[in-house]
Amino acid sequence: MSLREWLAVAMFFSFIAGILTGFPVAFVLGGSALAFTALAVLLERDFGLETGVDWTYASLVGDRIFDLMDNWVLVALPMFVLMGLLLDRSGIASELLREVSRLFGRVRGGLAVSIALIGILLAASTGIIGASVVLLALLGLPPMKEARYAPTFATGTVCAVGTLGILIPPSIMLVLMGDRLALSVGDLYLGAVVPGLLLAALYVVYLLVLPILRPEMAPPAARPEVVDFELVLSVLRKIVPPALLIFAVLGSTFFGLATPTEASGVGAAGALLLAASRGGLSLAALREVLRETTLTTGYLFGIFLGATAFALVLRGLGGDELIARGLSGLPFGPNGVVLTILFATFLLGFVLDWIEITFIVLPLVAPVVAALGFDLVWFTILFAVCLQTSFLTPPVGFALFYVKGVAPDVDVRTLYVGILPFVALQLVALALIFAWPELVTWLPGRAYGR
Amino acid sequence: MATELDGSGARRDDGIEARAGGGNDDGRFPARPLRGVDAMLDRLVSATSWLWLVLAGVIVGGVVLRTLFGISRIELEELQWHLHAVGFLVGIVGCAVFDRHVRVDVFREGMDARRRDWVDLYGLLLFQLPFLALVLWSAVPLVAESYATAERSTSAGGLGGRWLFKSALPLTTVLLIAATLAATRRVARRLFGRPRAPRS
Amino acid sequence: PQSGGVAGGEAHAARGAEGPKLRWRVSSAFGTHLPGLGDNVVEVARRLAVASDGRIEWTVDDPDEVVPAFAIVEAVSRGKIAAGYTWLGYEEGRLPASVLFGAVPFGMSPWEYTAWWQSGGGRELAREIYRPLGVEPILCGLIGPETAGWFREAIERPEDLRGLKIRFAGLGGQALQALGASVTMLPGGELFQALEKGAIDATEFSLPEVDVRLGFDRVAKFNYFPGWHQPFTAFHLVVNRPTWEALAPATRELVELACGDGVQRNFAKAEAAQGAVLAGFERNGVTTRTLSPALLGAIEGAVARILDEAAATDPLFARILAHQRAFHADYDRWQRLAYPSRSSAVPDPASPTASRAAEPGDGD
Ligand code: NA
Ligand code: NA
Repeated sequence: MSLREWLAVAMFFSFIAGILTGFPVAFVLGGSALAFTALAVLLERDFGLETGVDWTYASLVGDRIFDLMDNWVLVALPMFVLMGLLLDRSGIASELLREVSRLFGRVRGGLAVSIALIGILLAASTGIIGASVVLLALLGLPPMKEARYAPTFATGTVCAVGTLGILIPPSIMLVLMGDRLALSVGDLYLGAVVPGLLLAALYVVYLLVLPILRPEMAPPAARPEVVDFELVLSVLRKIVPPALLIFAVLGSTFFGLATPTEASGVGAAGALLLAASRGGLSLAALREVLRETTLTTGYLFGIFLGATAFALVLRGLGGDELIARGLSGLPFGPNGVVLTILFATFLLGFVLDWIEITFIVLPLVAPVVAALGFDLVWFTILFAVCLQTSFLTPPVGFALFYVKGVAPDVDVRTLYVGILPFVALQLVALALIFAWPELVTWLPGRAYGR
Repeated sequence: MATELDGSGARRDDGIEARAGGGNDDGRFPARPLRGVDAMLDRLVSATSWLWLVLAGVIVGGVVLRTLFGISRIELEELQWHLHAVGFLVGIVGCAVFDRHVRVDVFREGMDARRRDWVDLYGLLLFQLPFLALVLWSAVPLVAESYATAERSTSAGGLGGRWLFKSALPLTTVLLIAATLAATRRVARRLFGRPRAPRS
Repeated sequence: PQSGGVAGGEAHAARGAEGPKLRWRVSSAFGTHLPGLGDNVVEVARRLAVASDGRIEWTVDDPDEVVPAFAIVEAVSRGKIAAGYTWLGYEEGRLPASVLFGAVPFGMSPWEYTAWWQSGGGRELAREIYRPLGVEPILCGLIGPETAGWFREAIERPEDLRGLKIRFAGLGGQALQALGASVTMLPGGELFQALEKGAIDATEFSLPEVDVRLGFDRVAKFNYFPGWHQPFTAFHLVVNRPTWEALAPATRELVELACGDGVQRNFAKAEAAQGAVLAGFERNGVTTRTLSPALLGAIEGAVARILDEAAATDPLFARILAHQRAFHADYDRWQRLAYPSRSSAVPDPASPTASRAAEPGDGD
């Protein structure tokens, strides 16, 4: 390993150490980029070591931030956040949840199941990780707290279900992967549907079973109602407006009226109309919602800003080539190679975020896997589930960060403990998809006759 | 905060006040009422936040124009990410003012207030400020070049005056530096200040 | 910038028995896996490494991995990276004339462009324009026409463009907009779904070979030709000028050789591949069509107006356009007389318009 690669490794561990001090992640990322540029410059100037990084190179950070500012797809992020906040502050969200959970009143964990169902609908309308997790945390955490659910159970549910948004189409992650590997986004979208639903089903089963085994995690509703026709009718009447909104978001994409990005704006505008029509939104409350949208968007993009600087310098030091070398030349059979790649990705997911992994690792390993005779769509979906898992794994689990951002009173240990069972479920899903590739390949084959 | 729910749909507490008031014992928040730089940035965040409504309107307007009237305006498409970029940049500033940037506080929770202040002081001086200086230093020449070449969008009917849009980055970075300096001063006062330091 | 941004250029310090070692970070504006686009620079880098016995080592980066695609020329000009492989037209916003070195609607054919670049004064003109930016442009890749787009419905007459929701870039997009199309610039990743669901009626993208990988043939049933908007598409290696000038003559020559080979191989590979891809489209139910003469004529008129407008507002644009048109006038005399028409030998329903595309702007 060359010196610059040692620098890359050191940079990586400094970052981990840095965020564990509790200083904001965004500036630990950006600050490490700066510190290691300075170190590289010193080593090059005073010791004549070739590092590949200097101040001129580091100034690419400006170009990269301008590129971030020009990104149209990311416009969906604040719009979905605004939609979530409007539904939350106007009381629509809590009413929706309360009504849906009336149907599950006799079922332990019914509230969590309701949240999971809403999360699956959201997953089918949003494609950006931050947006769906924040939205679901806003909608789901307060009522679960009110119903005295265990905090670990509540946060684990919203984190895990929130990340489904990145797997179930539309998904910016699959768009990026399709772009990197020149695969049809259509195939990836359809390939992700069954695995996404499989994961959702695993979650729901868990949410139903755990409260039976450990009743203290999810107390049943205080006065469970008898589910009869009248109740169903009254529930339906209450949930029609928000359901219409979700259909407006989903439908505008589905019927070709809007792109997924535009659908976010349609959703936000719809939520505003809905809130205004109920009279539940004063001007002062609206102002507060908009401010909160600004701040939530701010901390999400703060991380993007720091991450782009960090990735730039890490690459300059040869960090990407290092990973490539580590993954190539594995002494196993075809299945062993795929499993090793997935395991390595899973490990990388503990510390790297999905954009890095998609950019660095996927293009390196995909040709190897294709050469072994595997279906590339199948492998990409496996890889995507692996990355979705990485959103959930400590210490750098972006879903955990995002929930922490909207629920600052939740401590990180609760988040870490709460997510573990869901990470286990992710692994079960991965194993199933690995064993039965048809889970991925069946649907695209039917739709487009691949 | 949004996680406090009263179920009535009535207006709840200002999220920031709720945070600053409740359970935040590391005292990094600027005390209310805000003064100086913090007060100015607070107003900027409030004013900028209305852009989200404009953005939603532009998106819906674009969809309606296209589906009902068969008109696409690239100006409207580009306006979307212009508004968005200004919004998120100001949001990053706001998060610095109100200490909303994401922290991994698995160890921080066990630290006393003084140790947290030390972490913040080192972080602000060694990580945050230098990084912001790097951003500013790398962005300014790009804005200058954009101005000198009268850069415009390359799309059919795209927007001109790119330098104006690009200047949002150095401008907000200057504001971020101001917010960082204000935060540094607060932390330093707590660590080194004489008892009479916090005037009232 | 393995040798420190650009300042070092060629690290003479490492001179030993094997001579100086040249390490560059070369940013590509196209995914390095894309046939005809980014794969070419990877091959150029590979051949350079072998031919130089390992003394020339390029790290080829995908777009946005280090430098955003649209910022490559800027980054090279400031020495942030040593070199980049890009489509010069991406600079259009800052340097309107740059697009004329990349692709011109109803402009030159690919081999005509290489003739202009090599022997018609094109290269000298480009060097003169890029000198103040501190950039050395070297023609390094070339492909023929792209498809004129994927359409959900057939279009016949110029009026069919009115209100057509189409994704179309650059000067071609401006021409379609002038004819009443509603032109959008959706991000590449959203195109497939937007086209499938009908949020847009049509899109242009790239070579059939690239389009098929993105699956456009499965969601749009009409694939139109000729590729009027890009009869040639040229790619250039842009090198930081101080770095370039600091190179040893032998190294400079090797890079020139590799790029010269890159141009011919890129073009040859792309030309060889598209026919079979088009045949495959038909198996997916795609109808390959040619734009009607009336439609093509209307577009050509609009393009001429757009080019003249651009020339009227930008002296540099005017100068290069005049230079290219003058070359074309001479070349056209030769090309029309000397080349046999193959329309009789190859049965092709599209022959009337196809031959027109081979002789762009011949004025009938
Ligand atoms: Na989704
Ligand atoms: Na992780």
